[in-house]
Amino acid sequence: MRLMEKLDQGWRLFGTCLSFACFGLGGVLLSLTLFPLLRLTSPDRDTARRRVQRAMHYAFRLFVLEMRLLGVMDCEVEGVERLRAGGRLVVANHPSLIDVVLLIALLPEADCIVKQALWRNPFLRWPVAWADYISNDDSAEMVEAAAARLRAGRSLIIFPEGTRSVPGRPLAMQRGAARIALAAGAEVLPVSILCNPPLLTKGVPWYRIPPVPGHWRLVVGQPLRAQDYAPAGIPEPLAARRLTRHFAEYFGQAVAAPLPLAAAAGPALAPDCTMS
Amino acid sequence: MDSKEEIHARLKEVLVELFEIDPAKVTPEANLYQDLGIDSIDAIDLLLRLKELTGRKIQPETFKNVRTVSDVTEAVYALGLGDAVVGS
Repeated sequence: MRLMEKLDQGWRLFGTCLSFACFGLGGVLLSLTLFPLLRLTSPDRDTARRRVQRAMHYAFRLFVLEMRLLGVMDCEVEGVERLRAGGRLVVANHPSLIDVVLLIALLPEADCIVKQALWRNPFLRWPVAWADYISNDDSAEMVEAAAARLRAGRSLIIFPEGTRSVPGRPLAMQRGAARIALAAGAEVLPVSILCNPPLLTKGVPWYRIPPVPGHWRLVVGQPLRAQDYAPAGIPEPLAARRLTRHFAEYFGQAVAAPLPLAAAAGPALAPDCTMS
Repeated sequence: MDSKEEIHARLKEVLVELFEIDPAKVTPEANLYQDLGIDSIDAIDLLLRLKELTGRKIQPETFKNVRTVSDVTEAVYALGLGDAVVGS
């Protein structure tokens, strides 16, 4: 029994290494081939943007499928149909390294606020520009650029924490997400991301393999209106603080709720796991 | 000297009103960003509010060097707007 466990963990360590390698190499390869091709063959920037976003969506779906087939992780999604409506700000907590991968794998076309460092990456700087992603410099310009996307009916993914959560600590939410929602007057779609056992979290080396495969559960909540947090006469900074506090409570409760381990989660390959 | 204190008092009201900051924390030495939790986007709202109150514009470049509550008071005072703030 002990031996079987060791073998299982060894296999998943191998699978994790392989997944990282595929992610890195795949990213470089796509950045040198498919993405430039899509850009060059598009008549305009907006067409290029949609094509590159879709290509990323399919690439991430493939990557998620690969990890699931390797047995490294599994995931289930609740309320995925709510993600399909455009013009919503998709707000999620950020427990793990692959959260953005999972969300983009669920959204065929989505704008995204990603860290500034990607614009200095020699391979990724062009794809993120072609996909028209927004850099998280936390300025008024970022808020305006993001709000403009929402007003144009596009979906936008943001992690209000700005970086991965620190396990065991209360979620630290920045106010940028609330600012964007208020500036655009957009609906907010909260997505709770729960990962049990903790895997690819902050402070845990990626090669520390848990006794059972990582199980991600994405719960798409009911949309809420940013404007409900800004009754007439309330200054916007105050409304942003209230909405941000609401995010912290909402995701704080979601994260604190007990979560079944993968083994107890019922049929591991439920239909919604296909992330189609 | 007196009017600087009045500017400070008015500024405290603004900080409480805009950002729900605990008035006890608004000391002249308090750092806007570290102690009072104001971010760069809030700073723009603060500038706009001060413009509303004074009827004149503090240059954003001036505000870039502002760190503490007393820096804001000085910036308003230096523009000779003390009376305008208190009078509003």
